[in-house]
Amino acid sequence: MSNAPALNLRDGAAEDARRFQANLELLAEMSQDFAASRDLDAALLKAVGHITDSVNAEGGALFLLDEQGENLRCHACVGATEITGLIIAADKGIVGRSVQNNLGEIVRDVSKDPNFFGGVDEKTGYTTKSILCAPLTVKDERIGAIELINKRGGDGLFSPDDLNFLEALAASAALAILNARQADALLEQERIKRELELAREIQSSLLPRQPGDDAPIGGINQPAREVSGDFFDHFPLEDGRICFCLGDVSGKGVNAALLMAKTASLYRCLGKAILSPGRLLALVNREICETAARGMFVTMVGGIYDPRTGVVTLSNAGHEPALLLTPEGEFQAFEAEGPPLGILADPPTKDGYPETAIDLQGGSLWVFTDGVTEGYTDDAGTELGVDGVKRILLDTRGQSLRARLDAVVGVIKPGDDGMRDDVTLLGVTDTAAERPAALAAAERVTGSSELIMSMRLPARADRLRVIRHAVRAALNFLTCADEMTEEVILAVDEACQNVVRHAYGGRADGEIAIELRRDGDDFVVELQDFAAPVDADNVKGRDLEDIKPGGLGVHLIHEIMDDVQFVTPPAGVGNLLQLRKRLQTKAGAS
Amino acid sequence: MKHEVKDVGGSVVIAFEGDVDLQTSPKAREALLATVGQGKPVVVDLAKVGYIDSSGVASLVEALQTAKKGGQTLALAAVSEGALRVLKLARLDAVFAIHGSVDDAV
Repeated sequence: MSNAPALNLRDGAAEDARRFQANLELLAEMSQDFAASRDLDAALLKAVGHITDSVNAEGGALFLLDEQGENLRCHACVGATEITGLIIAADKGIVGRSVQNNLGEIVRDVSKDPNFFGGVDEKTGYTTKSILCAPLTVKDERIGAIELINKRGGDGLFSPDDLNFLEALAASAALAILNARQADALLEQERIKRELELAREIQSSLLPRQPGDDAPIGGINQPAREVSGDFFDHFPLEDGRICFCLGDVSGKGVNAALLMAKTASLYRCLGKAILSPGRLLALVNREICETAARGMFVTMVGGIYDPRTGVVTLSNAGHEPALLLTPEGEFQAFEAEGPPLGILADPPTKDGYPETAIDLQGGSLWVFTDGVTEGYTDDAGTELGVDGVKRILLDTRGQSLRARLDAVVGVIKPGDDGMRDDVTLLGVTDTAAERPAALAAAERVTGSSELIMSMRLPARADRLRVIRHAVRAALNFLTCADEMTEEVILAVDEACQNVVRHAYGGRADGEIAIELRRDGDDFVVELQDFAAPVDADNVKGRDLEDIKPGGLGVHLIHEIMDDVQFVTPPAGVGNLLQLRKRLQTKAGAS
Repeated sequence: MKHEVKDVGGSVVIAFEGDVDLQTSPKAREALLATVGQGKPVVVDLAKVGYIDSSGVASLVEALQTAKKGGQTLALAAVSEGALRVLKLARLDAVFAIHGSVDDAV
């Protein structure tokens, strides 16, 4: 018997070593399982099996607190009864108590514990005799608990020693779970970051490339975050003009970026067909109203610049005023004349957003987002402001567009957390100096001609009869030969038809101005519309095979008149068509 | 502009009166195609058309093409001086069968 204590000691040391080994194995196993499978529940199941075997229990279950900390859910379970997925209130039962008190529990005999939840036994017919429960915590962070049921062999009851062992194992398991979760969160963050980088790449591909040194239009965009709610664009139209826009979507982040992508795409796509910024904005507005998320809107400026005339047609939907800088160094602001896009489905007028024609006369036009004016220029938080923008634009006169854009954006300092807001700026510089001066005046009929009649009337089909009567009256006044009178009436009618049918694209409020003159021996008709310029090539006669009304009409005009040409209109807006024919009087050819 | 449609012999005669221009040609086109749709030989009486423009001429051409597709004939009759001038300017006077009077055409 004298050997007994020594034996006990040896047994105790062996048991300690076995337990230490089991604990190490558990840690290694859980880390490896998780790293290999990236499946936390599968790793937990293995861990529960390992712990249950190590403590020599009949069954075990691992519960984790949900995100709100209100419920405990069984994520893994071995032996005894299958309860994976079971959810219990975080303060109920022996498991709940262990979590709440952050203390291990031993219930040697459950039949004597008032906290025991007997529901599972009733359903499964399994008899729970004894329970060990240890909380899963790392420092003060509660994760859940692990519960073991019925000791194998003997009386089936756990000992306080078993609880100590379980607590040690639970601490290791908790650490492994927390590590796994953090690794998971880190991976998720990495994934989101990669996707945002991708989104930024795609988004910046939506912006036009940097302008060349002599390009009249250019812009710059610096996103505050990975993606931006600001945008600008410019693209050439078939008629030689340049369409541009700049917008700011409410809010920042991914939702703003998506609406930005949509708005910019709509504008670019429709902009090539709808040659009116006001109608274009109205169309984009309706589309956004129909489909955009509630509460989001876009402030936007759209415009078309004609390098031949220096005129910008501008429309502003709730955006910061556009700034005109004249060659004399004066500023003029063009305020929004309609609400932001995405708020009211009906446009401000039946023709869309109001438009303003701005003759740049060699000056420049600037549009920017509030990220520019509200940007800090120093560490003290001094905002650049509209005055600051004006000052830089004045100081940089004569420099290239690129240099001026860089100069404005360059003074805005990013704070400790980066830019406060997306910074976007677009400029239009008029290349008037390269335009032949007074081209319009040179081409137009000179003062030597005699005005017979001048009229301005709605460009509508029912007014063509009025025009025919007027031309007849003018030609009768000039005692023009009958045959020529009839033919010229037809030619003028056909030319006016083209204005009615094509120039205004179906708009009912367009106007046409007509002047009938005698210029020496010629009868001259000048037709002016106030619509977007048309491609003069389309007005050349077509093959007679193509007997569409339009093509036939143009053929008739060329057949009848001696000379047909577009000249530059005096106001720089619309189209001016000049028809000319040697006058034949009734007395005979002059 | 107004028009009248009547059967003469085995043909259907459509007579226009007034100006056929951008405003009235959609109606003229509709009436012409409806007439062709009857499936009989068509005669278009242009005696009282003082003015016809390219859109009116295009309607006549479309009616002619539709008639030909259906194996029918479409002839113009009693074409006014003004209308004939436009057809000649459009070089379409040879495309249509043109008769001096409706009686000649039917």
